[in-house]
Amino acid sequence: MTYPIISVKNLYHTYQSGPLQKAALVDITMEIERGSCSAIIGVTGSGKSTLVQHFNGLLRPTSGALVVDGVNVKAKGGDLKTLRQRVGILFQFPESQLFGHTVYADVAFGPRRLNLSKSEVRTLVLHALDAVGLPPRQFAQRSPFELSGGQRRRVALAGILAMSPKILILDEPTTGLDADGRAEFYQYILHVQQKDAVTVILVSHDMSEVALLADQLFVLHNGHLVAQGSPRAIFTQDTMLHEWGLIEPPLSELLLLLRKQGLAIPERVFTLDEALSVLQELRTIQHERNNV
Amino acid sequence: MNATPLIDIHQITYTYPLQMKANSPAQSLKALQNVSLQIQPGEFLAVLGHNGSGKSTLAQHCNALLIPNTGHVLVAGLDTSDKILHHAIRDCVGMIFQNPDNQIIATVVEDDVAWALAVRGLPATLIAERVEQAMTAVGISHLRKLPPHRLSGGQKQRLAIAGVLALRPQCIIADEATSQLDPLSRREITALLHQLHQELGLTIIQVTHLLEEAALAQRVIVMDQGRIVMEGTPSVVFSDIERLRQLSLAIPEPIELADRLRASGITISREALTVEAIAREISR
Repeated sequence: MTYPIISVKNLYHTYQSGPLQKAALVDITMEIERGSCSAIIGVTGSGKSTLVQHFNGLLRPTSGALVVDGVNVKAKGGDLKTLRQRVGILFQFPESQLFGHTVYADVAFGPRRLNLSKSEVRTLVLHALDAVGLPPRQFAQRSPFELSGGQRRRVALAGILAMSPKILILDEPTTGLDADGRAEFYQYILHVQQKDAVTVILVSHDMSEVALLADQLFVLHNGHLVAQGSPRAIFTQDTMLHEWGLIEPPLSELLLLLRKQGLAIPERVFTLDEALSVLQELRTIQHERNNV
Repeated sequence: MNATPLIDIHQITYTYPLQMKANSPAQSLKALQNVSLQIQPGEFLAVLGHNGSGKSTLAQHCNALLIPNTGHVLVAGLDTSDKILHHAIRDCVGMIFQNPDNQIIATVVEDDVAWALAVRGLPATLIAERVEQAMTAVGISHLRKLPPHRLSGGQKQRLAIAGVLALRPQCIIADEATSQLDPLSRREITALLHQLHQELGLTIIQVTHLLEEAALAQRVIVMDQGRIVMEGTPSVVFSDIERLRQLSLAIPEPIELADRLRASGITISREALTVEAIAREISR
């Protein structure tokens, strides 16, 4: 039995701005498996970012219990410093936060504050650059500002990986990247999850992306956790996705339409290959019927 | 048979100034290489390409934000290299950008729509009338008194479009205007562009890296390394999926599914490029 790396119980968060109160998160209870890749989805304002900011103590729960990798995050107190070393967050458009003269200096900024020796810092930085596909020999001494958008974003990711986090939170990591940039970025995220056993939490509104990467989806709507399950479970049923302001990935949408038009497509069909073989089969059956 | 094009791009080449100074191998750094393109009044054109292919650079030549190094661009007959004409050119061709926050100035929605008109010193009654019409056209009249930071991303893009519409342009360029939006708002903004195209007869240039958006246009050009490498109606351009993939474009799964079904001998019209059209073809 593995025990969850993050466990949330009846968590509430209320934003207080002057006399106005806004319930951003309402009674959230969920668990995230160690080593998994989870995705938190929902429209703008559904509470996604508020939720993940609790996971490294940027926000504290108004009430409820939250335990992240053994650290208790409460309304007050708690060892948040340890927590923030274990949980890295890559914010949206992280490349805008780069500031180092060189790629090396930028990635080394975090590790240098960990009271490590120079060579230990160096090992962490080089490993992180390798992990995101920027060979140090070629990239370490270059200015981050002469790199492409996708490369800059990977520099930002390396800066977080160099802190050897146990949990990596990615907030809309591929917004603004093109197909190649995305595909590469996914490859490095999966590599980090599988090889370095980092638990990955993805915040995204790209449904094709979460369908590809995540084992488990959590759907937020108006601060409530309204659904959870595998992408296959969430996207193959004609759920309330539209009511929550979301749309299924295009292929799932196509299959739902076909079912509505009366084609006998089983609900388990989810990937392109599965859809292809089912449709070919249906066509063959139809042909045989016509021939009889 | 063609009327005079609204935008006539004739053999333009462009290199960004910093890269020119760096004096590196000149060839690879040209953002545009000998590009020619005519855009007819009332046309809906999609400019497709991956990051760095030159599509935004090309778009910025269409309203004199950039001036070509060689060749020339005529907008409604006006040469963009003539600085005196820039105001007239930008009144004719308006542009909205990727990040909605970068194009909002005022602290209240309706003031923001009025901004460019006020700067031009138009009479107040005329401004009020045009602002009203622009807000109605994009469906944000009910938000008029809100501060822009209370709007969602999709609403901010509508606001940006209203600001451009108030100037009564003949053409709107949407430069990756949907790429920071969630999928639902993305569809809504694309639908709005098509609605403006049909109802007001506006010329629309939609710059995008998404095939599903380009599929709805009348004509598509695909850019790579500063050149136009493919051109035609969506059904013609999208018939070569392998080529598009090589050009670093993501193929939407429904289009790929249709293509693979076709390859296995099932007839599916090449005109079917949207999820709905493909569904109709498959269940036929």
